[in-house]
Amino acid sequence: MSTASSPASRDVTQQDRPAPKRWTGDGTSQVPYWVYSDEETYRRELERIWYGPHWLYCALEAEIPKVGDFKTTILGEKPVIVVRSAEDEISVVENRCAHRGVKFCQSRSGHTKDLLCPYHQWAYDLRGELIGVPFRRGVRRQGGMPADFDTAKHGLRRLRVEVVNGVVWATFSDDTPPFREYLGEKFWKHYTRVYDGRKLEVLGYNRQHIPGNWKLMMENIKDPYHAGLLHVFFVTFGLFRADQKSAVDIDETGRHGILISRKGAQEVNDVTADMRNFQGDLKLADPRILDVVNEFPGDETVGMITIFPSVILQQQVNSLTTRQIVPTGAGGFDFHWTHWCYADDTPEMKLRRTRQANLFGPAGFVSADDGEVIEMCQQGFAASPDAEALVTMGGHDIAPTDHMVTETAIRGMYRYWREVMGL
Amino acid sequence: MSTLTMDRPGMAADAALRARVRDFYDAYYDALDDVRLEEWPDFFTAECLYRVVPRENHERGYMLCTMQAESRGMLQDRVTGLLKTQMYAPRYYRRFPGPLRVTAGTDGIRARHNLLMVQTLIDQQPNIVLCGVCHDRLVEDAERLRLAERVVVFDSEMIANSLIYPA
Repeated sequence: MSTASSPASRDVTQQDRPAPKRWTGDGTSQVPYWVYSDEETYRRELERIWYGPHWLYCALEAEIPKVGDFKTTILGEKPVIVVRSAEDEISVVENRCAHRGVKFCQSRSGHTKDLLCPYHQWAYDLRGELIGVPFRRGVRRQGGMPADFDTAKHGLRRLRVEVVNGVVWATFSDDTPPFREYLGEKFWKHYTRVYDGRKLEVLGYNRQHIPGNWKLMMENIKDPYHAGLLHVFFVTFGLFRADQKSAVDIDETGRHGILISRKGAQEVNDVTADMRNFQGDLKLADPRILDVVNEFPGDETVGMITIFPSVILQQQVNSLTTRQIVPTGAGGFDFHWTHWCYADDTPEMKLRRTRQANLFGPAGFVSADDGEVIEMCQQGFAASPDAEALVTMGGHDIAPTDHMVTETAIRGMYRYWREVMGL
Repeated sequence: MSTLTMDRPGMAADAALRARVRDFYDAYYDALDDVRLEEWPDFFTAECLYRVVPRENHERGYMLCTMQAESRGMLQDRVTGLLKTQMYAPRYYRRFPGPLRVTAGTDGIRARHNLLMVQTLIDQQPNIVLCGVCHDRLVEDAERLRLAERVVVFDSEMIANSLIYPA
């Protein structure tokens, strides 16, 4: 919303906008509902978080193996093209022609020699440099670009990129620290447990639109408390339970988190007594979905990482996915699942991973619960912006724990969120 | 695979078979629309293959499905999930199959048809939850036709939140 006196050509800055609502309370044990629904807050999130000093998930390197291979995606709300521009280089450029702003690449993926806008055939090389402007010198000495037109100044906007153990990350900001520093040493260890440098391969995609604020998805994976209650399938078959040896870890800033757990058996005990819908005697007709192989060092069978703000890195038994978050306004986000395997997996292991994928995605035995409950959250928040969510499981501290009856990682994320948002 | 197209007029057997296939699908979609889920696995053979797969995966040869079952048992487990373990808001699904293309081959009857699935949540307007094409293979199995294979390839890749009931 620019003010009446501001020139129309100028970018609208945050100063021109009404301020978001103020978060008046201390700490993060109570989160006001307007953080999920206020449009001005969402605008500020785009500027300070999505386009600020944070690394955003773009792709797996395996999606674009050959020079000229590309895929399109959206970072924050900005469309980008992720392209292998040289043998050992991946470029991420905005999918927006420098001439008239056309989102010129409409394919989800493909292979190309250059990037061409169909509107006036402006052509860019794979690094986004402008290489062709038809009739630049006019036609028969008429028209054309002014003499001082410099193609070097009219390329596509290039983002900073890091490719880290098979995953492509990009950032809009010059202030973002190197990726490893962005994770911190503790989370570098968590990250490289699964993304250990081995070559990855794509198994396929799932995509869904969840009508809830994007932070709810981050919170969901920072909240082990719900996993042992909402997800009856997990609990019933011992895949994730409150009485299993678990841990929640968070980085120093509070923004990243991981839920760590280990699989147990299907059993009835004092913990399941607290679950109203525990199905102690449930049997699967074909239990091959539970055919789990330990493949990582240690006894842990679950490692669910939230890399703030854009992605969840899932390792749940043998199912491996990246779950990319693309916000579409305060009240919704698109959720892109890329299921993958290691390139040297046996056919049997690939089948095992796709079989276990029935637990996840928009039709997942477990994950469908999450999409549903996030939509229900948003329905509850929408009409009561000034009421507050309680985030006091496990007390008020923000620290790693060795159990899952806690919301510490959610508190941690909001501590960081308040800092970066200035709220 | 030698196939005999079934749409040549004047072949009584063909017409009878087509009628049986139509009856099969009438019963199949009737059971699903009425949410008689426990009847659903019986429309399949014991060793069946069931896949609901986004078009992009199917066209690029990726294995991953949104729903996958490799046996009638796994279909029964889907039903168990829907009835006993999953949490979802109440909704109605209604399925609108398009015209059938039926061909007979050596390994059973191939049936292909478009499918539109419309979802209505409480207090909301109906929306399309799935739009795609079904590639099915039916066989004679214990006095009735059953699906040995059903691959539902859907164009509507950005699913409106959840895909709860089967196609």
